[in-house]
Amino acid sequence: MFPWLRQVLDYLGGAADEPPPGFPDLLTSPMFWGIWWALLSIVVYIFSGQTSKFIYIDF
Amino acid sequence: MVSVSDKRRRVFDSDMIFNTFSYYFVFLVPAALGCMISPSVYRPWIVITSASLFFIYFSLAGLGGIAGAFCLLIFFWESLLSRFYKAGSPLCLFGIIQSLIILMIFKYWNFLTGLAWGASNVNPWYWRGAFLPLGISFFTFEFIHYAADRYQGRTEQGELKEYLAFIMFFPTMVAGPIKRYQDFLPKLRAAQASPTDWNRGITRIFSGLVKKFAIADLMTAYTNHLNVADIRSANRAILPLWLLAYGVKIYFDFSGYSDIAIGSARLFGIRVPENFNWPYLQTNIAEFWRNWHISLSRWLTDYVFIPLGGSRVARVRIYSNLIVTMFVSGVWHGAGVNFVVWGLWHGVMLTGHRVWREWRGAAVEGRPAGRVLATVVTFVLVNLGWAFFCMDIPTATIFFRKMFLGS
Repeated sequence: MFPWLRQVLDYLGGAADEPPPGFPDLLTSPMFWGIWWALLSIVVYIFSGQTSKFIYIDF
Repeated sequence: MVSVSDKRRRVFDSDMIFNTFSYYFVFLVPAALGCMISPSVYRPWIVITSASLFFIYFSLAGLGGIAGAFCLLIFFWESLLSRFYKAGSPLCLFGIIQSLIILMIFKYWNFLTGLAWGASNVNPWYWRGAFLPLGISFFTFEFIHYAADRYQGRTEQGELKEYLAFIMFFPTMVAGPIKRYQDFLPKLRAAQASPTDWNRGITRIFSGLVKKFAIADLMTAYTNHLNVADIRSANRAILPLWLLAYGVKIYFDFSGYSDIAIGSARLFGIRVPENFNWPYLQTNIAEFWRNWHISLSRWLTDYVFIPLGGSRVARVRIYSNLIVTMFVSGVWHGAGVNFVVWGLWHGVMLTGHRVWREWRGAAVEGRPAGRVLATVVTFVLVNLGWAFFCMDIPTATIFFRKMFLGS
């Protein structure tokens, strides 16, 4: 269960090219990615007011 | 409350590079599309041109100003010198020393002269206008890697434009991941971004932005308390939570940054090395370092630990090699005694783990309960180490005294 969850998160986060076995086909469609990106954009927008510098820039 | 206009100003005008609109819409997308539609022979030049503009723009935006922008010349000088690097040539050694001297001057001048002549007000050599050229801590690693590998005949020379594109590839220029020329060159030559690359790249960038904005920055409210006044007035029970917040923040901040860099490179059809692989879930400190800032760990292994003798020497020498390597890592992370202590903390832990392994083997980590315990212990020890990373030594001392002794 736990390794599968990690693989799902890696796929949803863009770190893996292929979804793990058992991942719903519906969630690999272009429409899903459109919705997923919109959702992530909203999250970024909501939290964007508090930005600080990345720690490793100017290091 | 943060107003909408304030939010917009910060996102448009900040000097944070990967969380600015200008990075994406002025540099990344135009350069990636340019590489996609142009013949392969022109792609390095598109990377070099966009990287030059990127370097000048973000230097002028605050990270070094006009003097910082002039540091672009460092890349051109290095690329010209690199044409003379041959197997066994002393010029390779000259290139390595030169890179170290440039890093020393910009990053450690005030620290080193301060050790000899004292504080800034009495130090005649104190550099008041000191600044760090954009990405110097990272491009120095790539300069040294290329010179060392050319010296040992481990990499081809490549064309001038290819080497320039390697050292100036702007998605990774500022804070890595640290690339290898042997890996990058074939990808640059064959780079042709596919729809999958764009899908994965955009997803990775969004993922990195969410890590940074929604998690790392959220922790700042807690990590801001890691100062003498707040530590002294705080309930000791809250102190571990503040330190834990820093552990969460630095992971999501830097892995978010790496996600954006890796995703950005993907838009060019280029895969760069991974930097993080669930480091806080590892069962020992050696595994932690194999999964935390991976490109740095590999660089330190190849260019510090192995040249010192690595693991093929007497046991005591192996331990000292581990400690020296982590000392270098600490010094590289910052010009301050606290970073030296942080590096030594990890060096001692790596040595302790090696001694433990030689004594007990991996039996404990083999059992499920043992694995959980080992993961928790590793996580706690790494987080204790962050105290030296985010606070100077006097503040960290006060922090630990209050946390462990209550005074």
